[in-house]
Amino acid sequence: MLSYLIAILIVTGIYALLTQALNFHYGFMGLINFGHVGFFAIGAYTSALLTLSGHSIALGFVAAIVLAALSACPLGLLALRLREDYLAIVTLGFAEIVRVVIVSEDWLTRGTQGLANVPRPFASLGASGQEIAYLGLVVACNVLAAALIARLAYSPFGRLIEAIRDDETAISTLGKYPAGAKLRVFMVGAGIAGLAGALYAHYITYVVPDQFVPLVTFYVWMAMILGGVGSLPGSFIGAAILVALLEGTRFIRDLLPGVMEIQMASVRIFLIGVGLVLFVLLRPQGVMGLRVRT
Amino acid sequence: MNGSLFYLNLVMNGLVQGLVIGLAALALTLVFAVARFPNAATGDLMTVGAYAGIGVQALNVRSVIVQGAAAILACSVLAIGQYWFVLRYLRGRGLVSLLLASIGLALATRGALSFFVGQDQYLFNTPIMRPYVIAGLRVQVVDLWLAVASLVCVTATFAMLFLTPVGRRMRAIADNAELARASGIRMQRVMIPLWAAVGAICGVAGMILGIKTVVLPEAGWHILLPAFAAMVLGGLGNPIGAVVAGILLGVVQELSTPFVGFTYKIALSFIVLAVILTVRPQGLFGSAEVVR
Repeated sequence: MLSYLIAILIVTGIYALLTQALNFHYGFMGLINFGHVGFFAIGAYTSALLTLSGHSIALGFVAAIVLAALSACPLGLLALRLREDYLAIVTLGFAEIVRVVIVSEDWLTRGTQGLANVPRPFASLGASGQEIAYLGLVVACNVLAAALIARLAYSPFGRLIEAIRDDETAISTLGKYPAGAKLRVFMVGAGIAGLAGALYAHYITYVVPDQFVPLVTFYVWMAMILGGVGSLPGSFIGAAILVALLEGTRFIRDLLPGVMEIQMASVRIFLIGVGLVLFVLLRPQGVMGLRVRT
Repeated sequence: MNGSLFYLNLVMNGLVQGLVIGLAALALTLVFAVARFPNAATGDLMTVGAYAGIGVQALNVRSVIVQGAAAILACSVLAIGQYWFVLRYLRGRGLVSLLLASIGLALATRGALSFFVGQDQYLFNTPIMRPYVIAGLRVQVVDLWLAVASLVCVTATFAMLFLTPVGRRMRAIADNAELARASGIRMQRVMIPLWAAVGAICGVAGMILGIKTVVLPEAGWHILLPAFAAMVLGGLGNPIGAVVAGILLGVVQELSTPFVGFTYKIALSFIVLAVILTVRPQGLFGSAEVVR
């Protein structure tokens, strides 16, 4: 039971990291990123590939962050100069391209078979010690990311971000360069999502393309809205509610006798869809949402 | 086989593929122009259409016309339902709320559908006919009929948009929603016909997709991304541009298959999009954006 709880907490922490990154994109800057899972996948595969070819896990994590952030650069350069609605579509396509590349380039990624035996850190601590240490690592990463985002949000750069979000035209007449600030925000958030990917790969210990479907992006959007757009504590609460919902649907199976396992997948997708619609309709500001965004 | 004929046949295949993408992009564009959001439920609406056709076929009705009518009816009812029960309440709440709600609707639709029909694939039993061979170019009879059906669908949509009073109101809202409201156009009366038309287009697109390939719960979803690309390429909110860009993307996808392989098809439409947007940010057929 304790190990189940720790496992749930680790997964929640990984989702919280993704939610923080998306919140930095959308809640603070208004960037409509629907390709979050692409950065997550790049982080996961980068770290998995590096550690499997004998490099250290620390190097894998750093490379995951750097590569995910760099991948956001051309995407941002392309889309940020255009109308803001383009970014939603371009990022959605980007995430699918990442997945297609992973599936197709099997000389590198072993295609749909995926990469197994991704090493887990803290092996010397024993089974339960390893889990607890990993939870500590996830928590530390979350705290660091939150500190970074808070530091950026309350710095002069943060004020610039808020000003751009509120009135881009006004701020560019003051001689600021909105696209540059947006690009930096986009890359930092993508880097955090890459870190989440690395944490995921080394926890689950295998990566396959099916883990990186667009549904993951929608989960993170759900978590962000649940917790409150633009609220950092909300990111954690949203991620916790999301994981509770996802885990909860496992137990619905007991309430529906006569439903086959393959149909349960359909029931889950249906419930997630209905949940998304209901939250957008009934509680768009989220649990912790205080900022009014128009 | 002769080299150029091989590519001509690919172009033929691509044209039919492109018609599906073009129709989906047309449905997306109508919603984008009038209701102002990218409707992620479009793909799954098409899937529902294809399954409605399969359902009629399972009742031993062979006529493709009847199957298509069932698809159109099912999709229109579902689209109007999605508007009436969900999207109607989100007007003016911004692009993200509407986009998320439409993703929710897409997932709910796919979940409900696959719960009942399962994950097995279905096929339309189209009669096998000898293809026309024109100077070595093989033209499937089915393809011709599908092209005619989609042309009728596109023509009907444009007739509605440009020849009827309700179409004029739709264009007025697309142009300037505030001004349209101020001049006495009622949202409700325009939105129901709009969603009915969107449903009908998705029904036809779903049937064509089902006849050309196999019917699966994810079939429509896979068309959504190329359709988004076609909508942007055609210049957001430009119905003619969307159809033309969809057909172009279909042809480019098919032509690229011998070079980049089957799996990169989806990726390709976005690479085309990226290349064209760097050169022409307003899309192929969009007019330059007026600063608001």
